[in-house]
Amino acid sequence: MADTATASATGGSEPAIGRGLKGLLLVALPVFLVGWLIIYPIIAAIVSTLFVEATDGVQFSTASYRFFFSDPYSRANLALTLWTTGVCAVLLLLVGLPIALYLRFSTSRFADLVQSLAIFPMFVPSIILSYALIRTIGPNGTVDILLNAVGLPKIPSPYLTPWGPVIGLVWDNLPLTVLMLTAGLAGISNSAVEAARDVGAGPIRVFWHIILPRMGNSILVTISFTVLGIFSSFTLPYVLGPASPEMMGPFMLRTFNDLYDPLNAKTQAVISFVFCLFFGIFYVWSIARNQRSQSR
Amino acid sequence: MARLTIESLRKSFASTVAVDDFSLDVADGELVCLLGPSGSGKSTILRMIGGFEQPTSGAIRIDGQDVSRLPPDRRPTGMVFQSHALWSHMNVFNNIAFGLKLRRLPRSEIRRKVEEALELVGLGGYGHRQTFQLSGGQQQRVALARSLVLEPKILLLDEPFASLDQHLRERLREEVRDIQQRLGITTLFVTHGQDEALAMADRIVVLRNGQCEQADAPDIIYRNPQTQFVAGFIGQMNFIAANVEGGTFRHPHVSIAVGVQDGPAVLAVRPEALGLAATDGEAGATVLRSTDFGSHIMVDVELADGTRLKAMTSPSIRWERGARARLVPAAYALYRDNRLVDSGRVEGRATTAASLDVVRVTV
Ligand SMILES: Nc1ncnc2c1ncn2[C@@H]1O[C@H](COP(=O)(O)OP(=O)(O)OP(=O)(O)O)[C@@H](O)[C@H]1O
Ligand SMILES: [Mg+2]
Repeated sequence: MADTATASATGGSEPAIGRGLKGLLLVALPVFLVGWLIIYPIIAAIVSTLFVEATDGVQFSTASYRFFFSDPYSRANLALTLWTTGVCAVLLLLVGLPIALYLRFSTSRFADLVQSLAIFPMFVPSIILSYALIRTIGPNGTVDILLNAVGLPKIPSPYLTPWGPVIGLVWDNLPLTVLMLTAGLAGISNSAVEAARDVGAGPIRVFWHIILPRMGNSILVTISFTVLGIFSSFTLPYVLGPASPEMMGPFMLRTFNDLYDPLNAKTQAVISFVFCLFFGIFYVWSIARNQRSQSR
Repeated sequence: MARLTIESLRKSFASTVAVDDFSLDVADGELVCLLGPSGSGKSTILRMIGGFEQPTSGAIRIDGQDVSRLPPDRRPTGMVFQSHALWSHMNVFNNIAFGLKLRRLPRSEIRRKVEEALELVGLGGYGHRQTFQLSGGQQQRVALARSLVLEPKILLLDEPFASLDQHLRERLREEVRDIQQRLGITTLFVTHGQDEALAMADRIVVLRNGQCEQADAPDIIYRNPQTQFVAGFIGQMNFIAANVEGGTFRHPHVSIAVGVQDGPAVLAVRPEALGLAATDGEAGATVLRSTDFGSHIMVDVELADGTRLKAMTSPSIRWERGARARLVPAAYALYRDNRLVDSGRVEGRATTAASLDVVRVTV
């Protein structure tokens, strides 16, 4: 607001002022909302975890952070979250890349079907997905019933183990991964691949020497993007995951709701935020790098 | 160093037949140009030889070995694509060296071969450049070097110079012809440009709707087109449609004795074989325009039935717009149902009153 005042005070023709004012008004609302709803709470949370009320007034203290990193349970939760994120990222690439490659290079009409199947999970809410997974791979679920029907032993169910959320999260994030990888593959021309086949590269070498080197950036972007979502996910780990250790999302909620311990809940949130910030910076960096290499 | 044999090759896509019963025998070291209008199946034939498209039926043999079911990486062919398709994440050296590395050649030999290949296409010392630091013509030459360095038995070029300007094109096609003759590589060259085909080829194959219309040496294709389509497609050609009656091709403006049964036919005369003679008679053709090319004048005339013809005449006579002219063909070909049925020279038979002002330009 102060800016608009100075802008009109310093003069200029009427329409220019009008335009400048309109431009500022247009960005003012989002900037204000980001500041109010995101930046301010972050700073407030960080401040409130570092300056705590003691007997003799407010004091600077890192006690809650020291507690978090010395508490084996909290550390186990953080480790589980990192493990889940890492395993999901690897699995997403392993599952998503072949699908994306198939979608990019297949000429059969079957590809359309695969594409819609790959995108389908995007339209299924996590909570519905969670219960669907419990019904299929949970104890006495569809898979067990089918196995039982043909006289085979039941599967060791991933439900309530760390693999439960992994399966759910991979399923949930697959559409985005496939879409982003397909977009990255679109930049590789058919003739570049055909030229490589022509000089004697089989499919695997084409993938390794021609496709992968040009996919590097879109793989980085894909990983950092999905990892952001997985690290702070809540529903799937809450419903499908083990009670202990638990992922950061459910952990925070329980600390806050069940233990009535806002200070430690906030500390956990800040620590999660720092990790996500790291992935976020990685994401921005890989995009910037990508743009630089494309502008050459 | 190889012989390419194509036997009744067919390729049909969902809705179209792109190549229909195409056969061709290319001798060792021969350069054959595939020429034809857009969509006639040139690229499809080349892509089937390179292994990028599976033939619906037919066989492709290289030195007698059937390769038509082999994947592209196991065929002794090298293809240069229209959109050069260099790999932008590798520099020039690595683009050319890639195929050699796949063959696990020793480092020093790779270096030597790549440098030789660069030298061959006139780009010695460009190895360290990135591909985007090259001009279009240089990129095209790198693409050529990338294929040549592997010493393919058959070199396939699909309109490699289509995106270049006229001047560069002419230079590159001479270079390619040079290299091809020096190395003696059996080559198939697809082009839109008939000049290119006439200038480079040992043999030209004219395609139409996926079928071979004629496969012959350039001069035969030009002088002796076997079908009306080839006659019209290669070079400029005048067509006059009329009937043959009693052994004579009868048209209000031309009458020629021909050795053909009665029926409809199309007379074909090259502009350089069509002379004009001044006439006052109403039977003359009307001059529309004359364009001076220095060495000759191209006169456009219109017949009474609306047919337009071009005649190449000597610059010594000016033709005014609206003037009347009599047609004096010196050589002709006669087609019926696209097939050549008669051809010959006209020795003053049709021009009873061959006067002094008749100009005949024959090649
Ligand atoms: N992948 C494809 N799917 C379906 N039809 C195709 C395919 N490739 C080519 N065709 C068809 O096959 C015919 C021959 O195509 P082709 O590319 O061989 O023509 P061309 O002679 O190379 O033409 P141009 O001179 O324009 O390059 C065309 O009618 C084209 O539409
Ligand atoms: Mg083509």
